[in-house]
Amino acid sequence: MYTLLSGLWKYMFQKDEYNVLILGLDNAGKTTYLEQTKIKFKKKYQGMNFSKITTTVGLNIGQIDIKGVRLNFWDLGGQEELQSLWDKYYVESHAVIYIVDSSDQDRMDESKEAFDKMIISEALEGVPLLLLANKQDVQDCMSVGDVKKIFNDSREMMGKRDCRVNGVSALKGDNIDDGIIWLVDSIQRNNIQRPPVQKDIT
Amino acid sequence: MGGILSYFSGLFGSKERRILILGLDGAGKTTILYKLQVGEVVTTIPTIGFNVETVPCKNLKFQVWDLGGQTSIRPYWRCYYSNTDAIIYVVDSMDRDRIGIAKQEFVSLLEEEELKKAVIVVFANKQDIEGAMTVSEVANSLGLAGVKHKYQIFKTSAIKGWGLDEAMEWLGNTLTQQK
Repeated sequence: MYTLLSGLWKYMFQKDEYNVLILGLDNAGKTTYLEQTKIKFKKKYQGMNFSKITTTVGLNIGQIDIKGVRLNFWDLGGQEELQSLWDKYYVESHAVIYIVDSSDQDRMDESKEAFDKMIISEALEGVPLLLLANKQDVQDCMSVGDVKKIFNDSREMMGKRDCRVNGVSALKGDNIDDGIIWLVDSIQRNNIQRPPVQKDIT
Repeated sequence: MGGILSYFSGLFGSKERRILILGLDGAGKTTILYKLQVGEVVTTIPTIGFNVETVPCKNLKFQVWDLGGQTSIRPYWRCYYSNTDAIIYVVDSMDRDRIGIAKQEFVSLLEEEELKKAVIVVFANKQDIEGAMTVSEVANSLGLAGVKHKYQIFKTSAIKGWGLDEAMEWLGNTLTQQK
């Protein structure tokens, strides 16, 4: 009887919370992506004027409710000197979204390097990964396939985890939903390894 | 329609936002406050108590509190925490000896229940002096890695006026969007 009641209580007043890290080099479009995600999944959210988004030297946060769970996003600054701050968040995160600027071929190697360094971290073992080839709206950008090919090299380092590569345009808001919905499913599949944070919603 | 609505919400959006400037003594808090308000570098003496000024920023009004930073009066900071929208935490980027203390104060600030929703702006101040700590040095020594508040670091020099406008613009945008 107690279990039944406490189960009902949990069902009604508690929500599973998961933390999602948004990483990638500076100017990849992480903050824009976060804003766009908030616009898509939060009712009555107006969003920031995209032209006013500046370089993040710190952390932006966002929260959305989807499919009965709550996602907390942590969007960290991507400049090289700030990458040292990333790893402190690994232990607590349930998923990683890694964003690549498909229109910036010159920095592709740099992005791959930062990615490799991140993905071999033990603190992120088994955590679902969503790789986004952003800025698909830019002409002459690399296709999703090309980006995928580059990052496929790191396949062995990735270990056993759910992965997906999507092409998006954070600025235009194209193809955002698909990745987020996939991410929620993968996080829930992985919730024995990484149990959710449970919080009362008051 | 949306345009009209946002126009009207803009009219009512000029509510005052409460901002605290905190940091160790000698970090440059008072200089920053008056640089923001009158645009000039004023001669300051160590603040015992507080200074408060209204600083307009876009369509917002910031009510900015500059609290004294000396060891003996830091415990009184908490009396000012309630309803605070943002904290400007000023760090003297030349003061490597006391960055540890600055970290302690900062960490205890972040644990405060009343400040859970506050936006944090870190000013790595005194960047005009050669040999000042870089942004990543300041971030690492303040223990910013792992912080769950929305935060942003700016390189500033209150004396030269560097970084202040940028920082206030960022804060203005952020606070407009939040409510």
